[in-house]
Amino acid sequence: METPATAEAAPASERTSRPVLLDIVDLSRSFGGLRAVDGVTLDVRQGEIFSIIGPNGAGKTTVFNLITGIYKPDSGTMTFEGRSIAGLTPDRVLRRGIARTFQNIRLFNNMTVLENALVGQQIRFPSDLASVMLHLPNYRKAEREARARAIELLSFFGPSLVDRQDEYASNLSYADRRRVEIVRALGSGPRLLLLDEPTAGMNDAETAEAITYIQRLRREFNLTVLLIEHKLQVTMGISDHIVVLDYGKKLAEGIPSEIQRNPLVIEAYLGRKAEV
Amino acid sequence: MILQRSRATVRGYINTATAWLDNTLVLGRSVRWYVTGWPFGLVIFLLAIIAPSFLDQPTLTSAISICIYAMLALGLNIVVGYAGLLDLGYVAFFVIGSYTVAVGTGSELYNSNGQPFSIPTVSFWLLLPLAAVIAALFGILLGAPTLRLRGDYLAIVTLGFGEIVPKVFQNVPYFNGSLGMGAAPPPDINLPLIGDISFSDPLNLTPFYYLALGLLAIVVVAVIALRDSSIGRAWIAIREDETAAAASGVNLVRTKLLAFGLGALIGGIGGALNTAFLPVVNPNDFNFGISITVLAMIVLGGIGSIPGVILGATILRYFDVSLVNQISTYVQENPAITNAIPGLNDINEAKLLIYGMVLVLMILLRPQGLLPNRRRSRELKGIGASAEGTSAVGLLAREESGLDVPEEDALDETAYTGAGSDARGRE
Repeated sequence: METPATAEAAPASERTSRPVLLDIVDLSRSFGGLRAVDGVTLDVRQGEIFSIIGPNGAGKTTVFNLITGIYKPDSGTMTFEGRSIAGLTPDRVLRRGIARTFQNIRLFNNMTVLENALVGQQIRFPSDLASVMLHLPNYRKAEREARARAIELLSFFGPSLVDRQDEYASNLSYADRRRVEIVRALGSGPRLLLLDEPTAGMNDAETAEAITYIQRLRREFNLTVLLIEHKLQVTMGISDHIVVLDYGKKLAEGIPSEIQRNPLVIEAYLGRKAEV
Repeated sequence: MILQRSRATVRGYINTATAWLDNTLVLGRSVRWYVTGWPFGLVIFLLAIIAPSFLDQPTLTSAISICIYAMLALGLNIVVGYAGLLDLGYVAFFVIGSYTVAVGTGSELYNSNGQPFSIPTVSFWLLLPLAAVIAALFGILLGAPTLRLRGDYLAIVTLGFGEIVPKVFQNVPYFNGSLGMGAAPPPDINLPLIGDISFSDPLNLTPFYYLALGLLAIVVVAVIALRDSSIGRAWIAIREDETAAAASGVNLVRTKLLAFGLGALIGGIGGALNTAFLPVVNPNDFNFGISITVLAMIVLGGIGSIPGVILGATILRYFDVSLVNQISTYVQENPAITNAIPGLNDINEAKLLIYGMVLVLMILLRPQGLLPNRRRSRELKGIGASAEGTSAVGLLAREESGLDVPEEDALDETAYTGAGSDARGRE
């Protein structure tokens, strides 16, 4: 839309040479009279960390909910790896290779850390009732592999989560719960990971650590990351590409340095934030 | 004041006893593990196997009834305890199982003038799986339109279904209306080594008892296998947070229908067995009371806990079919008691009152049940209330939110922040 001219600068053209993983065109969704998402167009490219920023109520989480099938879009197309994902149920979206976390951690609190990690691998289990009920060899194999993978994923965050695998999720520290939520999301073996404010509620040290592991996630799991983030320290530090939403519309997009200089963004987002 | 103090005292005793169960270690395991784990289950099962040698026939009748109701309670526990879907119409599947056997073994149906006409009979051994399958299909049929409903709304719809099904059998021709239908006991079978086994001898209930016990054992093993599987995890995930479960790859439609279908399947088996035992079926016997009784068994024993549910079924069913009569006889033989408490004249009348009082006391003193499921106790104590929240009183119903976020909550930053339990949730 009102993209500044600098958007076609050198880094951006290098970006356009990468294949598009998630292509969203003209996505809209209203709730009553409110256009929460209003004609948003995004192209998330293979292997990048793509951030969506914007003031409260800008429609960021709604975009996530539309991508993951929690809401159905009113109009617009969403294509992931060349196939449409619009209108799919959340579990089908996950099967296509898109996993997510939630802004206010939504772990299964009365399940253990390990069980949370196992639920994340639900799609890897045989779906016929007989295999599951009779614990047939194919089911037992899936269960064995899922447990091994759960431990492997937990150890991504060091030995502390592995040691606490039998703790109930609610007994963990806040930062650890965020980590377990990521482990749960990784269980399905996604290619695109949607992180909704992964550092919300974290102190500076925890935030710095989160920045490190988001970059490690991309590298070690060969992921593309779509990020909603408020903290500029995070977005400006690790994003390859940033889209700014305001009132459900795309206000600007570009690389971090462009976004930082964009007067519209400063007014709509940074300016307002400074007043608070 | 006195009531409050005595309540606190009783609760104190219960807590001390529970703590003792948890903290006393025998060979590295807590006493609770021995009482609720598989060793104790095995002992109970072995006792149940030798029971016919020391129980008289009336007690064996109660035992058969207990087995049947324990099955029902385990079936409903899948729906209510695991998937967290409050089903108040479970009697429907009991009815369907019952009538399947009655129609198949009774040898006659009735035309619209109430005149009987003959139909070929089918062996009970074929009807038993058939009843299970038909009940499961109806379970799925009921489940399908209620998928989007939760908590109270789901309860109302299932309640309606539980009322409709017996009425259908009462009012549609063919089934002899309120007069009910006769059925036949299971035919004799001939086993190698054991020889002929008769299920129709009213003076020897042992074979039927073993049939009921065997089916109960199969149900228990099946329910344990389900609970400890990916499907069991999916049910609990749905109960904890439906949206997060869906986003983690749980197919909500399939997983919920599976709970309804499997719960109904077990209800159908229970109905089939019950009808073959009586062997008669009457639509007036099937009412809301049965749905509530089975639910009460689960609540009493501990929602989601297999040993708890069996214990609940044993206590309530024993009370229902045996203890009440024993008290009644005792009271009538001792006029002094009736003179002191006139209401005890007819204890059968007071049965539901006692029933209700037991449940109210349970909810007040030990809402998690006699042998609680660990996870459920946590939920009741409000530990780790999830974003969706589990209301303090929400023993059965759960706080609603999730896929159908109301419009005013739809703005992205406010959606899902409903009952967030952590103060650090937002910046």
